[in-house]
Amino acid sequence: MQSDADKRFARMQKATALHLAMEGEETLQHLTEFSDNPKAMDYFYDLFRNLYKNGHKLPTDKKVIGTMCLQVPDELIYAAGAVPMRMCSGAYAYEQVGAEFMPAKSCPVVKATTGMLHVNQALWGEAVASVVLPTTCDQKKKCGEMLKEMGYPVYILEMPSSKDSEGARFYWQESIKKFTLDLQKITGNKITSGKLQTVIADMAECSRLFRKLNDLRKSKTPLIFGKDIFLVTSAYFIDEMASWRQAVRQLIEELEVWRQNDIAITNRQAPRMLLTGSPPIFPNLKVPILVEQAGGIIVADEVCSSNRLLHDAVAYDEANLNDMAAALADRYLKPCTCPCLTPNTDRNRKLAELVKSHAVEGVIYQAFSGCLPYEMEQKQISNTLSKAGVPMLYLETDYSSEDLGQLSTRVEAFIESIKARRRKK
Amino acid sequence: MGEIMGNFRRAINNTSLSRFRFYFQAASFLLLIYGGYLALNLGDQLPTFACIFSEPRGGSCYLFGLQHQMTTPWTSYLSGRGIGLLVGFLTFIAFFIVFNKAWCGFACPLGTIQDWLTALRARFKIRYANYAEPTFQRLKKIKYILLALLILIPMAIGNSFFGLPKLNHDFGVPFCMICPGRTILPLFSGDFSQLALDLSSKSKMILTALGLMVTGIFLSGSFIKKRFFCLFCPMSAFHYIFANAALLRLSKDAGKCSRCGNCYRACDVGIRAIADDLQHKNIVKDDCMLCGKCVEMCPEEGCLQVKFLGLPIYQSTAEGFFKRMQGRNNAK
Repeated sequence: MQSDADKRFARMQKATALHLAMEGEETLQHLTEFSDNPKAMDYFYDLFRNLYKNGHKLPTDKKVIGTMCLQVPDELIYAAGAVPMRMCSGAYAYEQVGAEFMPAKSCPVVKATTGMLHVNQALWGEAVASVVLPTTCDQKKKCGEMLKEMGYPVYILEMPSSKDSEGARFYWQESIKKFTLDLQKITGNKITSGKLQTVIADMAECSRLFRKLNDLRKSKTPLIFGKDIFLVTSAYFIDEMASWRQAVRQLIEELEVWRQNDIAITNRQAPRMLLTGSPPIFPNLKVPILVEQAGGIIVADEVCSSNRLLHDAVAYDEANLNDMAAALADRYLKPCTCPCLTPNTDRNRKLAELVKSHAVEGVIYQAFSGCLPYEMEQKQISNTLSKAGVPMLYLETDYSSEDLGQLSTRVEAFIESIKARRRKK
Repeated sequence: MGEIMGNFRRAINNTSLSRFRFYFQAASFLLLIYGGYLALNLGDQLPTFACIFSEPRGGSCYLFGLQHQMTTPWTSYLSGRGIGLLVGFLTFIAFFIVFNKAWCGFACPLGTIQDWLTALRARFKIRYANYAEPTFQRLKKIKYILLALLILIPMAIGNSFFGLPKLNHDFGVPFCMICPGRTILPLFSGDFSQLALDLSSKSKMILTALGLMVTGIFLSGSFIKKRFFCLFCPMSAFHYIFANAALLRLSKDAGKCSRCGNCYRACDVGIRAIADDLQHKNIVKDDCMLCGKCVEMCPEEGCLQVKFLGLPIYQSTAEGFFKRMQGRNNAK
């Protein structure tokens, strides 16, 4: 006999799966509506088209290790014979699940991620060998406690809240070394220096490709929309790495041909925008799509689901575990510009440099309501940008579609104002 | 033309400077230790630890001459001896100004031996030791103390400080007596005599005993800690006084720096400023040996540059960085 609670849960499961599939389909429809998308993007459209069909499946049959923030070294997980999957979710359907048991004021990423793990627990069950949670922001930390309550094997990866001192650096290096040892227990596989070296090289290739793609965005002739870039990087969360690399290689090749033949993806005069703040993660590509529907093009970004995730690569000096683990630790902390760190002035500097390198004319600052660190950093970023003479539009939003009308009016006005600025110049 | 230069630049920036340095160091080592066989001699004012006690050398270290000249009574500096002192010093400066601290990274035989010991340790996959940053900051001052002593002690032979009795001539070249260059470098030409304990006087016995101790510490220390000795090297301290005038430089464009710390990780002497200093353009610090490993490891386009007379000759690029890291994996 099923209890009422069980029945209710089953109903929620069913409804969520349905809403999720619809939500994914709707985002894909918006993404593909733009004319002349690169052929190589089809790989990514298909990947996401299949993701939510017949329930949200895990991407692999191997042991999955969920990661809750970008600071978890994927290299170690691969070297231990498991597959990392970034759990941060962009799905409104999952956010709705999380909203049932989480404070209304918590941020949509945390709500959606917790909701996703809650509703899929029976489905994914044993396959998730661990959920690794770096101690980044308070909401993620508390979310870890909730997941533990649910019965997930949560692994707390202790991370300092500042990165400037040597003390913080060594503390984090020790955390990563401990994680290396613990991963071997979790997976039952030994991490050898040889395996780790190979994986580091594979992941460096991912970074190298991402940088190439990002360099193509510098082109004066616009070659690729930001909405597609965010889809490519969202795919990085879940895709098999070798196929992801292959697909990105093809995309780069295609865009190189476009560049040589001076083919533009959109109006050459499209205002060049940069997106920073809370991460756009599929299916929530609401803001990037709005910006580009309004005639802008996102040529650069500074978010943890894209540039911050993929720009950096590990540099070890000696090929032994001791040095490589420390090198991994440095790679995931030192260049990080997550607002959970203080001070976070590197973010200001990075933005200023991106504005220069990608000839950015306007910045969209996306803050998910409930994400206080991003909301609070808005002021200092806007000061830096105004010094650089670049206008910024601050958008507080979430995963719902309720604010679409209001957002699109503001985005359109912002883009018009940039065009007007140009005429004045 | 511009395209050819561009491709040439690109090819250079894609190379492994470390490999070039390895061969260059080996060649310098041969020249400085055995140059005499080919009747080559670069003189006795070199800004690097080629040792005067080693025969048939191709040149020797200025610190021996400097200490020796300091033993002269102050009054005679105004005579012909002063000119000798000045000429020696200017020769040293001329050598140094051109290559800056690259003398340490590319030519110093003691540095090369330390790098060989490091390579040996790495081959055995033995982990290295590192200092904590505060320890590093404290220890690095020692080289300035050694530099001061190696000038002041010989001075006290020819002159009386504050009416104190003059020192005896056993202290003529005090630093050479404790320098591992004196004990180790002659070994390469089969001369083991410097390993002897000199019992002819009390002070000589103390100095040679100290020398042997330092040699032991040098060998074991540099086996577990990269460039262990360089942190204490008075030549390095002496260099630094003139480093700002040098033609070869290492410069940093702070705007391009993501503070990822790759350079700091790679640095054999552990200079943190290379990653975290966002103020200075000229980034050669007193412990730097201009080995260029930081430039190799920097993934940001043009963030770190080795410049000669203001012209970039080797600079960091993303392409070069990924090539070198990939090469390291392939060489596995």
